[in-house]
Amino acid sequence: MDKKEKGFNLKLYAAAAFFAVLAALVLITVFTFKTKYTAYHPEEVARNYVDTVVQTGDGYNAYKNALISKSQKYGDFIRTYYMNPVIYRDTAYKPGDDIKDCGYKGFNDESYMGEKSKNDDGSLQGQVIDTMYDYYVKLVTDGWDDYDTIFTKYFAKLVEVRKEVFGDDYMTDEIMFTALEGNVLKYGQSLTGTEDEFDKNTGNQTSFKSIGAYQKAYGEDYKFTTAVKTEKNMDLAAYKAALPTEKLTTYGVQADDISAVKCYTVTVSTEDGKTVTETDVVVAQIKNSWYADNTATDTSALYGFYK
Amino acid sequence: MKKYMKKSEIWTFGIGLFGVALMTGWMPDYTATFFADFAFKGKGFDSDVMANMISLVFLVAGIVGAVCELVIGYLVDNTRTKFGKVKPWVGFGVVPLAIVAMLVFVAPNTNSQTAAIIWMFVIYSLYTAFSCAVESPANCFGSLCSPNPSERSSAISIASFLRSVGQSGGMVVVLVVGLVMKAVMGEQQYRNAEGRGLDLVISTAVCALGLILFTMIFFTNNKENVPYTQEKVNLKDAIRVVFTYKNLLMVSLTKLCGFGRGVYGTVSLYIAIYLLGSKDLKLALLLPMGIGTAVGTLLVNLVLKKFSTKQTFILFCVYGASSMGILFLVSRGIGFNDGLIIPFLILNFFCGLQHGNTNVTPNIMIADCVDEIEYKTGKRQDGLAYAGYGLFSKVASAFTKGLGPWLLYTWSGYMVSTDANIAYAAQTDATLNKLLMIYTIIPAVFVILQGVPILFYDMVGEKKEMITKALEERRAAANLSASADAENA
Repeated sequence: MDKKEKGFNLKLYAAAAFFAVLAALVLITVFTFKTKYTAYHPEEVARNYVDTVVQTGDGYNAYKNALISKSQKYGDFIRTYYMNPVIYRDTAYKPGDDIKDCGYKGFNDESYMGEKSKNDDGSLQGQVIDTMYDYYVKLVTDGWDDYDTIFTKYFAKLVEVRKEVFGDDYMTDEIMFTALEGNVLKYGQSLTGTEDEFDKNTGNQTSFKSIGAYQKAYGEDYKFTTAVKTEKNMDLAAYKAALPTEKLTTYGVQADDISAVKCYTVTVSTEDGKTVTETDVVVAQIKNSWYADNTATDTSALYGFYK
Repeated sequence: MKKYMKKSEIWTFGIGLFGVALMTGWMPDYTATFFADFAFKGKGFDSDVMANMISLVFLVAGIVGAVCELVIGYLVDNTRTKFGKVKPWVGFGVVPLAIVAMLVFVAPNTNSQTAAIIWMFVIYSLYTAFSCAVESPANCFGSLCSPNPSERSSAISIASFLRSVGQSGGMVVVLVVGLVMKAVMGEQQYRNAEGRGLDLVISTAVCALGLILFTMIFFTNNKENVPYTQEKVNLKDAIRVVFTYKNLLMVSLTKLCGFGRGVYGTVSLYIAIYLLGSKDLKLALLLPMGIGTAVGTLLVNLVLKKFSTKQTFILFCVYGASSMGILFLVSRGIGFNDGLIIPFLILNFFCGLQHGNTNVTPNIMIADCVDEIEYKTGKRQDGLAYAGYGLFSKVASAFTKGLGPWLLYTWSGYMVSTDANIAYAAQTDATLNKLLMIYTIIPAVFVILQGVPILFYDMVGEKKEMITKALEERRAAANLSASADAENA
């Protein structure tokens, strides 16, 4: 068999096959990553930021592609600066403290749970979320740009409302996220409208059709398209000098980390091509990735334009 | 008896199978997840239609695989090259396999649901065909690595062990890739990339690279030591062999009767996410099961010293169903919370022990069946027996791959995420309970069913001893005759 195998170098073939496949895999991976991962494309970051806000009025989730989420998980940022100060309000908690190491006892301790909290089947929690909704709508009238006020006031109000409904001070980050995200979702549905939905197993109707504010303004089959219209020149040095350093510190970002900055005007149009609103989005580059600069972008034009 | 293999060859055979399993063990689960959750996220396609089509994609691809199994078996038995009959399929087939596997995770950017569905059917059927062209011959290599049954058994058992390790290897890859991506991109950017399925793309590239690397080690170091015969093989014979001989048919039927025992794999990712609280726990979930499988492989060898293959198989089926029933009851008792993680993982180990049986015992039974066929016909038909058994395996696998996604995406009422930045949507309690049933009770029923055909298997005890002895005498006589002919010549 050995003699017969002469004339074909197995090891050479193996090495060639390995490197050929390696090259192909690298090309395919890089192509897919560049296509799907928007952070490498400044225009796409700007467009995506506006799109997330305008499609469902969701400035909350738009921050996941912004400077605020550069160094940490967005949820962890909210926990550190807005939830933990509420949960550990009776302790010496400061943002950045390791709660386990410090041994703080917060209102998430089960000893704060009253009977209603222990026995709730979800209906009381639903009542809290419903009560919070009107307050949430008032808070986001001008959008999500002032997240500091929104988070601070929302969670303070949540403590009050929950205490009224449950009669105790129990509070966890999960309760806070559930209430806030429930309100974000409902707010979006108030704009887009909802369809009749039925449980797959029981056939029972789980939600009813409703006409959203966007549908009232632009028709039931409306469709928003977002696109970058123009790019404006920005002076990097002037931009960096104007950055709010204190805020950036909470994001784990320093002005010197930013190597480039761009500003795009992004338009929102209906299917017939009519522009319904537009806004300028500033995007900043850190290493290879681009982030929407939420400190320098005014998204207020993306809320209430349909009225 | 003379040894034919170098020590390194025994290990590189296993390394080759490890590489193949690293890719093929990873693909079905993650393809289903990719198609359902990431490939066309945000395109606004009808989720019910997509869920049903994904089930159908796996059913059709499985049937394609079953047909390919037989065709490839037929082509392998008719391959005559200077490298042997199996090695060229493995060595040259892995290159297109690696590329096609990668392309499964590169979805076209289309707004047409019809185009998306056609792409899923085409790309996954293509992957199935290529994986069959590599995996089946690679598994078949065991029967050609040495004419010495004892040496061959050692090589096959080491390779089986490494193959089962390789099947869980993809889980390690996705975990490591996730950690590296988090370190490089930051937590939130990793989440954004994960929400678009990009961690799966990179993990597949790593597995594909592992496939080519480990397979090439096998390809350059291993030789086929059993010379092929010059007889041409008829396609009809492949089908006839498995349907004519009762014992071989019974072993093959275990696959068909137990096809649903593998549906747990479809939900393991979701069990980790929803019942245990983290996608990363899928590794923790499968690792005890993988270790259980390895320990089970050793345990089966011990049990086989006391009991026949038939008794061993049935014993492990009863044990396997019981262990999964206990896992279900304990999980329901504790509820889906942090307290469930440790008991779940421990019981998962005990559930894994049964897989040692399905990895080892049927292979021994098939070898015994080949002896029986040789005793009756005078012909040794390893390749055809393997192709026939493989045909049943592929049909069963097609049913599993059809049933699993149907149970998950239709029966359980699983809700897919429609938010580009959220990987997995919240589920109802009823859905979570059904996910647990897909992982435990439903496979348990099929584990019992797979033992039923073995009740009719009789290649054991005195019959087996008599055939083994008769074959030894026949081969000794043939050798004497060959020696005499050589001397006369």
